[in-house]
Amino acid sequence: MARIDIVDLCKRFGNIEVISNVNLSFEEGEFIVLVGPSGCGKSTLLRMIAGLESITKGDIIMNDQRVNDLPPRDRNIAMVFQSYALYPHMNVERNMGFSMEIKRTPPDTRRQHVDKAAAILGLGSLMERLPKALSGGQRQRVAMGRAIVRDPSAFLFDEPLSNLDAALRVEMRLEIARLHQRLGSTMVYVTHDQVEALTLADRIVVLDHGVVQQVGTPMELYESPANRFVARFIGSPTMNLIEVAMEDQQLTMKSTHSAIPLPALVGAESATQLGIRPEHLEPMPAGKGHVQGEVEVVERLGSDSFVYVQVPGAGRLLSRCNGNTRLQAGEAVGLSLDPAHLHLFDEKGQALR
Amino acid sequence: MNTAVTPAVATPGSRRSWRAVLRTAAEPWLYLSPALIFIMLVMLVPLVIGISYAFQAISLMNPLESGWVGLANFEALYEDRKFWKSLKNTAYWTIASVFFQFFLGLGLALLLNHGFYGRRLVQALVFLPWAVPTFLSALTWAWLFNPVIGPLPHWLAAIGILSEPYNILSDPNIAIWGPIVANIWFGIPFFAITLLAALQSIPHDLYEAAAIDGASAWQGFIKITLPFLAPMIAITVMLRAIWVANFADLIFVMTGGGPANSTQIISTYIFTTAFRKLDFGYASAIAVVLLVLLLIYAAVLLRLRQSLRLVN
Repeated sequence: MARIDIVDLCKRFGNIEVISNVNLSFEEGEFIVLVGPSGCGKSTLLRMIAGLESITKGDIIMNDQRVNDLPPRDRNIAMVFQSYALYPHMNVERNMGFSMEIKRTPPDTRRQHVDKAAAILGLGSLMERLPKALSGGQRQRVAMGRAIVRDPSAFLFDEPLSNLDAALRVEMRLEIARLHQRLGSTMVYVTHDQVEALTLADRIVVLDHGVVQQVGTPMELYESPANRFVARFIGSPTMNLIEVAMEDQQLTMKSTHSAIPLPALVGAESATQLGIRPEHLEPMPAGKGHVQGEVEVVERLGSDSFVYVQVPGAGRLLSRCNGNTRLQAGEAVGLSLDPAHLHLFDEKGQALR
Repeated sequence: MNTAVTPAVATPGSRRSWRAVLRTAAEPWLYLSPALIFIMLVMLVPLVIGISYAFQAISLMNPLESGWVGLANFEALYEDRKFWKSLKNTAYWTIASVFFQFFLGLGLALLLNHGFYGRRLVQALVFLPWAVPTFLSALTWAWLFNPVIGPLPHWLAAIGILSEPYNILSDPNIAIWGPIVANIWFGIPFFAITLLAALQSIPHDLYEAAAIDGASAWQGFIKITLPFLAPMIAITVMLRAIWVANFADLIFVMTGGGPANSTQIISTYIFTTAFRKLDFGYASAIAVVLLVLLLIYAAVLLRLRQSLRLVN
């Protein structure tokens, strides 16, 4: 198991800085998810930890040892690639035992380790198959098996589920969670899917443009996002944002100057945007609630309904409410904002608390 | 039910349906016939005539003694020391040329597969030998080996390979290395271009996975690069061997098979026999032997390819 410290890490490709001044500490046995939109530098950061990408500035420290100049094979890490990167000319058994083949481990020991990993992942019957004769999920399992056989101090996952279909993705997500519980190793997992991040992570690192936006547990990120980017990125459907301004001690909608009758909020003076998650926005009979609007569309998902409400001055707001709501498109409706779950952002997008 | 009914219905019309069957069977051949006739005229007929020459005495120097001679040409061939020598030379020439072409081509391909400044220019230059007519390269190489105007003998003497700067093309012991060197130069681009294409088709993340699995660069080459290249290597080496075995231009221009037949290979021997000695019968007999040898080789090649495909 490994503790990983990342100190003032920078990465430049030519003049483009893809990772800037990242400082992170991953505890032993922690499941860390690096999440962000594509191009945010999350994969590059992972590849730098793996040793596949050089470091422009800063240090990566594993268990108090600086590993900047160590080649990947001396870092005792295992990596699962998005493409799985299985060796196509080797059968499952050889693929999984490749690291031991390289080390010239005796075939008996190798076999033992491979069988053990195969048993964990339920690959026992596929040992003689070539990768091309496997389904996507099976390939994914073999790639994970290859990592397990190495018995590494840290596992690195680079968007391992993005090539799978939705159903399989859910299944493999569980499998990875189970694997982490069983092995207890440090795992660093890269994804652009916030659902994977929320479900798997002990702690999530949100990256944008190579800068760490926020580090925290899934609920911390969900309940108190540090800035507008995190607020919009985490949570599905995304948080509603309303342009606001402070007029006469009263929070008002910026374009229409109509007041939102809310109790005094901390930091409201410098707020330019008000954020509220769809589940904290409750439809009320017309005339009641904090803002008034007209139902545009109702999406019924069974367990929930998504009600899109056009509010003059605030634009389209989404309310997530009960599955059996009676609301119809075109109906006038009031919306009540839950004061305990409001988020205010200043003009730079920083959360005000 | 059908089985009971069909014979009763089919019997009266059987002759007619037989004709219809014949017609439908013949129809595609009719459409194909122009191409088939053309191929027969330009390929099959000359082949048959050529093979028939091998069993005749046809020598323009001896026009009166022509006619069928059975296996006499082949018997003479069996006794012909020049033939056996050129057969040996063919093997030597082919193996040496292909060996060096392959390994130097592979090295070049590996080099070109790495990015470096000016790679595109180098890549373009590498393929230049193909743009030069064989005849010109042969002449140029012959001149390079000529101590009066070429630098090579002086260099070879300076590094101690030759005792003095003389023309290796005139030394029966090593003359064949002249055309072999020219052929290596001529053949490297072929291997470089095909192997480079194969190298570029290997997914890069396999090397990354191997690096993480603990493989050194050499182990990566042995365990990943070579298995990926293997089918391409097998095919190119086999095909190249056939081409080189038949490749007479360089030798003919550089040495004409001499001195003392020391650079005579089968294909140059056929050429000189037919068009210098004008003995077409005998030349055809040699050609038939070469044809049989290459057919055997091709059969082995195809068998090998099939087994390779099974492995993959």
